[in-house]
Amino acid sequence: MNRRSAIKQLFVIAGGMMIATSCSNDRKKASIELHNVHFSAEDEQLLKQLVEAIIPETDSPGAANLNLHLFVMKMVDDCHSPEDQAQFVKSLRDAKKIKTKNTEDTLAYLRSLPQEDVFFKILKRRTIQGYLNSEYVMKNKLIYELVPGRYDGAVKVNA
Amino acid sequence: MANLNIDSEKNRTYDAIVIGSGISGGWSAKELCERGLKTLVLERGRDVQHIKDYPTTNMYPWEFEHRNEIPYKIQQENPIVNRCYAFHEDAAHFFVKDQEHPYIQEKPFDWIRGYQVGGKSLLWARQTQRWSDFDFEGPARDGFAVDWPIRYADLKPWYDHVERFAGIAGNKDGLPELPDGEFLPGYPLNVVEKYFKQTIESKYPGRKVISARCAHVSKPEPIHLQQGRTQCQNRKLCQRGCPFGGYFSSNASTLPWAAKTGNMTLRPDSVVHSILYDEQQGKAVGVKVIDRNTKEETDFYARLIFVNAAAINTNLILLNSTSNRFPNGLGNDSDTLGKYVAFHNYSARIHAEYEGLLDFKTDGRNPAGGGYIPRFRNLHKQETDFLRGYAAGFSAWRSSGSDQSGLGADLKESLLHPKLGNWGVGSHMMGETIPKASNYVALDTTQKDDWGIPLLKIAVDYDDNDAKMKKDYLDTLEEMFTEAGFTNIRRNEGWQAPGLDIHEMGGVRMGNNPKTSMLNKWNQMHAVPNVFVTDGACMTSTSTQNPSLTYMAFSARSVDYAVKELKKGNI
Repeated sequence: MNRRSAIKQLFVIAGGMMIATSCSNDRKKASIELHNVHFSAEDEQLLKQLVEAIIPETDSPGAANLNLHLFVMKMVDDCHSPEDQAQFVKSLRDAKKIKTKNTEDTLAYLRSLPQEDVFFKILKRRTIQGYLNSEYVMKNKLIYELVPGRYDGAVKVNA
Repeated sequence: MANLNIDSEKNRTYDAIVIGSGISGGWSAKELCERGLKTLVLERGRDVQHIKDYPTTNMYPWEFEHRNEIPYKIQQENPIVNRCYAFHEDAAHFFVKDQEHPYIQEKPFDWIRGYQVGGKSLLWARQTQRWSDFDFEGPARDGFAVDWPIRYADLKPWYDHVERFAGIAGNKDGLPELPDGEFLPGYPLNVVEKYFKQTIESKYPGRKVISARCAHVSKPEPIHLQQGRTQCQNRKLCQRGCPFGGYFSSNASTLPWAAKTGNMTLRPDSVVHSILYDEQQGKAVGVKVIDRNTKEETDFYARLIFVNAAAINTNLILLNSTSNRFPNGLGNDSDTLGKYVAFHNYSARIHAEYEGLLDFKTDGRNPAGGGYIPRFRNLHKQETDFLRGYAAGFSAWRSSGSDQSGLGADLKESLLHPKLGNWGVGSHMMGETIPKASNYVALDTTQKDDWGIPLLKIAVDYDDNDAKMKKDYLDTLEEMFTEAGFTNIRRNEGWQAPGLDIHEMGGVRMGNNPKTSMLNKWNQMHAVPNVFVTDGACMTSTSTQNPSLTYMAFSARSVDYAVKELKKGNI
C-alpha cells in the first residue's frame, strides 16, 4: 500500500511542477516524503542543479525536467546503507560551495571530486539509472518493449 | 449437539485431500478432480488468482519505485531470499521473507519458498528436460542411495500426458540421455549459440548443445486455448505472473482446470499441522489444519491424501505426524524419513566474450534462455574420480553499452547512442549430488513456529564428490570455450549454499524395499497405503535435469493408480 501511494506521489510530482520550488529555506523539508535521510528543500534545489549538470537539457529534456533529483533522493533514502547516506548528505552540503548555479561552475565542481568519491559515484550512478529508466527515454529514445512477441537469434546488423 | 458434530464432520469430509497447490499439488488436484473425486486443496499461503493477483505484471520499469531494486533495509532483513536471482521489486510479494518463517541451519542452506496459491510455480525457471534411464539407473549402477523402483518406460506415458497439457517448447534432438517429448515448436539457438553447438559437436563426440526445453506455449494447441492460455509473448517477466498464461503455472493451468470440474475446494490460509492416522484402520484419515490468520484448528477428512507441500515442507509435515504406530513420523518404519536429502550443485559459472559474428545481433527475447548441454560425464560408464555428472546451461547475448565516463552533454549523447559490443557468453553447472543419510532435515525439539509446528533443522552440505565435479565442470567448460575461440574467460567458483539451486529433493524417497525407503513405485507410502507423496520429497536421486516436469508426471501417474485402487476397494 505504502509503495503504491509512494509511486503515485512520484508521478504526481513528475506530471506537474513542484509546489515547493519557491522554498529556499534550509529548514523547509524536501518535496517528497522520505523515511531515512533528511533532505531540505535547499538540498533538493542543489541536487536539481547537480543532476541537470550531469544530464543537461539539450534538444531533449534533461535530468531536472525528468525529476531525476527526486529519484536520486528516493534511492539514497531507501537503497543505500546508513554510512553511504551520511556521507552523501555531508558531501551534498559541501557542494553548497559551488559558486553559482550555472552549469560550468557545477561541472567544474563535480570534476574536482575524486572519481572514487562516494557522493559523486552515488550521484552519477543514480542519475544515469534514473535517466535510462525514465518514461521519457524508454518511450522516446531507447524504446522498451513490454511485449516483444518475438525472438530472432540472428539479425544482420545494419552497417 | 451430537448431530451437529456429525454434520460438521461430514462437511469437512472429502474424497481426497491435496496438501499444497504448487507445481505438483496443482497436478494432483487436476487429475483427482477430473476423475470425479471431491478434492480439498490446502494451501498454507494466501490466494493468488490468475491475472487478477499479478499486481506488477504490466508495469513498466519506470513504474517501480526503486526501478526493481530491493531496498537496503529489506535486503538486510532478508539475507537468504535476497540471494535468489528472482527476488526483485517486481516479484518480492511472491517470496517468503526470512523473518516470517524461520528455520534452523545446522549448516548453511538457503531455503527459498513461495507461500501462496500456486507456490513456486509462479516463480520457477520453467526448464523442463525429461529424465532418462541414465538417471533412473544411476543409483543401482554406481552404488549409492537405493535403486529407483521405476524406469523411464514407467514414466514415459505420463511425461507425454503432462507435456501435452502444460505446453513444452522443444526440439526433437534424438538423445537417449534426454528423451524427446510431446513438444510445441522449440525456440531457436541464436547465431553464437549455434556456432558453439557446431564447434563442440564436431570436436567432442558425445557432447551436445541443444535449445533448452521450457514450459512455454510457443504455439498454442486447442488444449492450451481451452485453459484460457495463449502464445508466450516473449516478455520474460514470468516471475510477475503472466497475463497471457504463456508459461505453465498452477495458477494459469491446473488449478482453474480442476476448479472447472466443480470438484475442487481450494482452501488458502490453511497451514497443515499433521496428517491424522487411525491405528485401527491402518490408514490416514485426514489432516489437521491451523488457520494462518486466526490460528484456529480444524480437522479435515478424506480417503486419499496427496502430500505436495514442496520437498522440505512435505518432510516437515510427515515428521510432525506422529502416533503410537509411527512415533518418528508417518510411515517411517525405515527410519529414512528426512534423510538422503539432496540438491543440485549450481556452485560454478563461467563467462567469456566472443569477438566473432559481430555482424549479427538478436531481436526480441528468448523465453527458453538459450542452450542446454545435456550430461556427458560418466554417462555410459564411470570415467572420472567422481560419481555422476553435470548438465550445463549455455547462452550468448550481444551486449550493447555506452561510455559513461563523461559528464554533461557528452555523457547524455553517449547514453542515448549505445554501441554494440562483443558477444557475451556464459554457462552454469547443474550437478547431480549424491543423497546421503548425513544430509537430513529434522524437527527441533524445543522451538515452534507461530502455528505451533516445530521448527525445521536443516543439515545439508556439499561433499568431496561435489568439489571434484565442480572443478571438472570449470576445467571442461574452459577448454570448450577456448576451443570455440572465446576470450576473456572468467571462471566463477563463487560458493553458494545448497538450497539456492531451489532443487532440494528427497527425504521421503521411493524404493522397492520398505526397510530402506518410504514410498513404493507408485509414490504410495509402504506403510500407509492411502498416502501419496509426489513432490520433490519422493526423489531417490537427483539426476542433472531440472526436476519439476518429473514431479508433474509422478503426480498424474500416481493419481491414476490411486483412484483405480480406490475403486477396486484396495485403499
